[in-house]
Amino acid sequence: MSANTLKNETSMQEATNTISQSTGVHSPMAMFSKLRLAGFYLAISLMLLSAIGLGFKGLNLGLDFTGGYMTEFTTSQSIDKEQMQDQLATHLTGDFELNSSGANTQWTIRQADGADHVIDKDWLNNFAAQSGYDISPQDSVYIGSQVGSELIDNGGLALIVAAIAMMIYLTWRFEWRLACGSLMALVHDVLVVLGLFAWLGLPFDLTVLAAVLAIIGYSLNDSIVIGDKLREVMRAKTNMSMSDIVDTAVKSTLTRSLITSGTTLATIGAIWIFGGQPLQGFAIGLFAGVVFGTLSSIAVSATIPQLIGLNPEFYQHRAQELLLNDEP
Amino acid sequence: MRKTTAKPKYTWQILVIIVTVIILGLNAIPTFYGNHNALLVSAVNPTQSLPNTQTLRNVVQQQNINVEQIINSESSSKIVIDGDDDALLAAQTQLKTTLGDDFQVRLGSQSAAPKWLQGMGMSPIKLGLDLSGGVLFVLEVDTNKADQERLGNAKDEALQLIHDNGLRGMSVKLADSQEKINLHFLTHQASQVKTVVNELQQRLPGITYTASDDRDGTLVFSDQSVTTFHHEIMAQALTTLRGRIEELGITEAVTQRQGQNRIRIELPGVKDPEQAKRIIGATASLDFYEMAQSGTVGAKTFTDENGRRLRLAPKPIFTGSNIENATSGRDDMGIALVNLALDGIGGKKMSDFSKDNIGNPMVTIFSEYHKNSADEMVKSSKVISVATIQSQLGNRFSITNLDSPQAASDLALLLRAGSLDAPITIVQQRTIQASLGQENVGNGIMALAIGLGITLVFMGLWYRKLGLIANTSLVLNLVCLLGLMALLPNVVLTLPGIAGLVLTVGMAVDTNVLIFERIKEERKRGRSNFLAIETGYKEAFATILDANVTTMITALILLSIGYGPVKGFAMTLSLGILTSMFTGVFVAHVLTSLVKPQIAVKHKELRS
Repeated sequence: MSANTLKNETSMQEATNTISQSTGVHSPMAMFSKLRLAGFYLAISLMLLSAIGLGFKGLNLGLDFTGGYMTEFTTSQSIDKEQMQDQLATHLTGDFELNSSGANTQWTIRQADGADHVIDKDWLNNFAAQSGYDISPQDSVYIGSQVGSELIDNGGLALIVAAIAMMIYLTWRFEWRLACGSLMALVHDVLVVLGLFAWLGLPFDLTVLAAVLAIIGYSLNDSIVIGDKLREVMRAKTNMSMSDIVDTAVKSTLTRSLITSGTTLATIGAIWIFGGQPLQGFAIGLFAGVVFGTLSSIAVSATIPQLIGLNPEFYQHRAQELLLNDEP
Repeated sequence: MRKTTAKPKYTWQILVIIVTVIILGLNAIPTFYGNHNALLVSAVNPTQSLPNTQTLRNVVQQQNINVEQIINSESSSKIVIDGDDDALLAAQTQLKTTLGDDFQVRLGSQSAAPKWLQGMGMSPIKLGLDLSGGVLFVLEVDTNKADQERLGNAKDEALQLIHDNGLRGMSVKLADSQEKINLHFLTHQASQVKTVVNELQQRLPGITYTASDDRDGTLVFSDQSVTTFHHEIMAQALTTLRGRIEELGITEAVTQRQGQNRIRIELPGVKDPEQAKRIIGATASLDFYEMAQSGTVGAKTFTDENGRRLRLAPKPIFTGSNIENATSGRDDMGIALVNLALDGIGGKKMSDFSKDNIGNPMVTIFSEYHKNSADEMVKSSKVISVATIQSQLGNRFSITNLDSPQAASDLALLLRAGSLDAPITIVQQRTIQASLGQENVGNGIMALAIGLGITLVFMGLWYRKLGLIANTSLVLNLVCLLGLMALLPNVVLTLPGIAGLVLTVGMAVDTNVLIFERIKEERKRGRSNFLAIETGYKEAFATILDANVTTMITALILLSIGYGPVKGFAMTLSLGILTSMFTGVFVAHVLTSLVKPQIAVKHKELRS
């Protein structure tokens, strides 16, 4: 992946030279164009950074993918985490991982599949009696390790199938250079969200995977709106340079992009803040996806076609052909 | 041009909208009322009459639980109570002890919506385990083991055939891989091999023979036959598990196949996973054998508890699958026993056998799969009883000499629900407390309310009159979506599903925004108010369709590969796309045409 992005960057640099030649400094679009290119560079760097994070740190795969046991319980009082850790260690043989949230009243214990001492209801009651804490069990999960590894396969498969299905749909719907732009934006969005999870070490579970897949849909949604606009402007304005055409298209969809992203972010924010612990990863993934998705739809999806040589003539020919076909 | 400026009438569109919104809206209402806990009392024996309403009411009220309603139907009484899951379980225990073994008391629920709504067949959206609390199991059916067992039986069958035909020098053996049977014969026996194979194929359709050289050959089941066999095993496992869950008294369980060889079981409202686990995961089966005659080939050898070696006939007289009903009880000495009633076939086999074998012993073998230290499934069998047949037996008899009353009642339950031929293992288990479920519901509704609120306020402020149209269609969208989810079977609302709902709210306005931006643009180009609106809706539609199709593709992919949380999310996402297309494009268009908002344009923005 990192090799690919590097290649893109070099081809990018060649192309930027041609762009700065074609856009005059005094053009009203110049400022916007520069911002757009800055965004493009930012997107490329983010992708590199994410690829590095994925390569070196890797994803912190959640229970869904690794398999094992998870026990969740609450205590009526806040308890120091280290104290809890020590107390658990004396009662629990074998390795375990303790996490707390909600001001140290909500606890999750993770154990590997095949742990010699698995926590169950009796154990918890016993522990509550011996430690003197007021413990109420909330959730307990067991996932066999082979189920987890199958999910990784299925999840990967879903990502690939989704990407291929999108590619087919896009090439059928758009010209191939536009399709490439949308695809690049999509790869960017997914990669950056995965990279974020890798760098921050957030647990990557099944709901986050669902969020990533939803991002694919969302990212394309944005790219398509801009692609449609780009096509329309190319048909209508013949005398503009390609860079100006892209700027016009991006600008006229900017309000829509910002409003939709804004309302979506607001609702995702509501899930993040009020949805509780189980939806945290999902909300963070989606939130990041929408933020980066908006960036990529503005800076990447329409810039790529320009860089790989899409020009207005193509659509004017097409428009004429269509007109001829439409006339009886 | 003249044609488009003529004001169209929207009579049929309005009718479509009103009818759709009313139907889906009515379906959405019961969800807001939620469910009451309920108990279902039915008689084990259908001819027995149900206890009267007053008795039931008194029994439940002994536990200080309020009875809301008792619904009597032909075969069962439904007691709707006012109380949480703990009260429900207390009431169940009370009813069970008072009514005794003749009645079954199962857990259920009843919609709390007004009767006239229930009368129209409308029910609330089914809640997933993460919202209602309960136990989830994913079981894996070991089809490999079943294949091996089937092949082993085929080998015994072949051995018997070779013996019956008196073919000395011919032998069969299971290959080390346990995937085929090796047949070894003498060079001049080629024609006899054909007879044996033909006869074997008649008994076991699907088995195929390949000669490897003039002295050896292999027997395997064809791929197609293996597929059908696996299909049958899975179907049998599903039926059996459903039967067992029913025996446990849970009416609203979800049992479905997941992938190739897994079964997903969701048991809402179950508190104690251990009992459920013991019953659901059990692989116990019973077989009844006669002693092997001296000349029998392939006889099975078992050792009973006194260390006696018993040689049994290779095939059982009949198996647990012929058992129609089983109840546990005690004999005169107070030792646990299970009373059995056989079905027609089993009864005939039993009476034929016992008639010819008075004075001979019959051996009952109890088999169970369990994991050994190397984590492999092993079948262990034990002799429960060696009984001498005193007289011709019919379809009713008892197995005595069981370890404990608990063992007897578990065995009876398993025999009633049917046995599993293939061993199953629990590969995933989850227990969610009802309190956590309620918390999740609360969080989800909170997130939805806040998300919806922000969106409504923003759209109202930003687009003014058009914003109100967008808001109306957004609310209608939510109503339609909830209605659709309640209406469609198999749709379960989960926490990620609520997240999908909230996300739908955020994304549904996209449709409106696209259209409104387009209308504004058209106005700037100098089009009249009416024309700008019409063109806006028309031109934006292609883009909207594209955008929604791509999201739909992702949703469908999620739906087809995902289980559990992913499925819930994908379900609301895909239904949300459908309803937002309907409300965002169709409803909003009609509304705009009726309201005719003036879209103001500043003069300097006007372009030629």
